[in-house]
Amino acid sequence: MHIVVCMKQVPRDNSVKINSDLSINADGIEKIINLFDEYAIEEGLAWNEKHSGKLTVLSMGSDEWVEQMRRALAMGATDSLLLKDASFAQLDTLAAAKVVAAAIKKLGDVDLVFCGRNSTDDESGAFAPALARALGWAQLTYVGKVLDVDPAGKKVTAERHLETVVETVTASLPAVVSVIKDINNPRYPSLLKIKKVAKIQPPVWTAADLGVSGLSAAATISSRVPPPPRPSGEIIDGPDAAAKVRKLVDKLLENQII
Amino acid sequence: MAGVLVYIEQVGGDVAAVSRELMGKGQELAASLGGPLNALVVGGDVAGLASQVVALGAATVYTVSDASLATYTTDGHVAAAKATVEAAQPALMLASASFQMRDFGAALAADLDAGLAVDVTDLKVEGGAVSAVRPSHGGNVINTYTFAAGRPVVALVRKQSFAEAAGSASGGTVTSLPLPATTMRTQVNNVAPKTGAVNLTDAAIIVSGGRGLSDKDNYYKLIPPLAEALGGAYGASRAIVDAGWVPYEHQVGQTGKTVSPKLYVAAGVSGAIQHLAGMRTSRNIVAINKDPEAPIFRVANFGLVGDVNEVLPLLTAELRQRLGR
Ligand SMILES: Cc1cc2nc3c(=O)[nH]c(=O)nc-3n(C[C@H](O)[C@H](O)[C@H](O)COP(=O)(O)OP(=O)(O)OC[C@H]3O[C@@H](n4cnc5c(N)ncnc54)[C@H](O)[C@@H]3O)c2cc1C
Repeated sequence: MHIVVCMKQVPRDNSVKINSDLSINADGIEKIINLFDEYAIEEGLAWNEKHSGKLTVLSMGSDEWVEQMRRALAMGATDSLLLKDASFAQLDTLAAAKVVAAAIKKLGDVDLVFCGRNSTDDESGAFAPALARALGWAQLTYVGKVLDVDPAGKKVTAERHLETVVETVTASLPAVVSVIKDINNPRYPSLLKIKKVAKIQPPVWTAADLGVSGLSAAATISSRVPPPPRPSGEIIDGPDAAAKVRKLVDKLLENQII
Repeated sequence: MAGVLVYIEQVGGDVAAVSRELMGKGQELAASLGGPLNALVVGGDVAGLASQVVALGAATVYTVSDASLATYTTDGHVAAAKATVEAAQPALMLASASFQMRDFGAALAADLDAGLAVDVTDLKVEGGAVSAVRPSHGGNVINTYTFAAGRPVVALVRKQSFAEAAGSASGGTVTSLPLPATTMRTQVNNVAPKTGAVNLTDAAIIVSGGRGLSDKDNYYKLIPPLAEALGGAYGASRAIVDAGWVPYEHQVGQTGKTVSPKLYVAAGVSGAIQHLAGMRTSRNIVAINKDPEAPIFRVANFGLVGDVNEVLPLLTAELRQRLGR
């Protein structure tokens, strides 16, 4: 069985700046594996251990991302693959999914793809469905529990945790599964393993290797601004806690907030 | 290609509030695009719903009704939508930004090679081109995407972004379309309501606690009673969700839920940027923290510097008394 986990590198927090050309500037912010992808890696590892196959961690990104890919390798991924091309930089989520789909098709023997439910920077949640459609595969999104992966019977059964309901769904393999944070507890790679993978260079596939061209973003960004500042607030003063609490409740009632 | 197609969601046999909002905004957008406002209802038996949607101002309500569509599947519902797009040729398709609609909308946009905007808070049309406003980066960046005319756009809209359709006697019609032959690659075995479901995203008032509550017992002793006195739901920071005090369902923030209630009370929460990402668009924010320098005070309308162990029981008692709960 061959499992692929899609991994994105993101800034640890979103205190980003906006460049004059409207690109996002995350300089100086520590880079981490997108949190939801860490859960995807853990889920992939668990099922790979069960069915003893191959787990490839796949990123479409830059050389800078290799550090996070190595973390995935230290966690237990058996293979890595970096998709890198100057033409990938300006792609939107739907076009990026087409590039990743081309790579997965080229790998040839993939049964199951795990992704995080969304990236914590762009936050659209569109990648996994777009990838599934580009591959022509089944999709299970917002999965909070994988109940079974059955490579022989070509099925995966999982719980989708939506806002108010939990659906139990069986999908045919191959499939794309996106996971939420609640699904497992990602392991910490040991220092020894981190050392062991420190020099691994993932193979790189370019647009030419993948035979993709002419992809573009459907929209242009016409404006990008910080949110309007919140009106400055008021500190509730008083001689003691009881007086402050009374004053706070007065204000909430006065302003018809409660 | 002209006009707008709204995907209607249903709640217990009625049109969902967010769908009425999309019909409201859709009217204006369709006029600017020079085309009709149409709607699409997909399901097992949707005849009753279709007439409700006519009354919301749709020129044509397309229905795709089939026993296999009674529960949502990506393959079934995308196939129904594609058949409708073929018939209606909309320039813009609108649906909500719920998890199910993200599953649906991204798949539909991928199949149609359409433009896609997710979690949209505003939309406009200028010179035939659709622009969509959507926050990203935990609300720290507000993006406006402008789509070139000539390629359809799928916009998944955050609820409560627009006013509901007033409802008019539009004289619209209902057109039923067959579900095209479709391979269903998923099978839904069961749909169960979440036990003890907290629909934080729908709550008008939320009281959240953080590590300042010291431990799990203290959290449950102080936070849910205050939430109850206010008639609200209770939330939590990631720190205490990861510590196992409170289920993940309750987590607010970058990797939890994004909420915009009328009132958000943060008690013993520092206000880390990842927490703010989930609640900074709340209409009113009250912060209770013993550290006057805590970043949460920077977004609060009302700040109270104090110890949660002292302040919260007093506040709960005061509210019970004054609100009569
Ligand atoms: C990738 C990533 C994603 C994240 N996602 C989220 C997310 O979705 N949601 C989230 O919340 N966090 C998230 N975080 C974590 C975030 O960075 C903070 O660590 C977390 O929000 C802190 O939780 P806290 O405010 O409860 O705890 P702390 O930061 O420890 O703050 C506790 C606060 O309580 C106050 N306090 C202590 N005792 C008392 C008392 N007796 N009375 C009154 N006040 C008291 C202190 O002054 C302090 O301000 C994320 C982090 C990362 C790296």
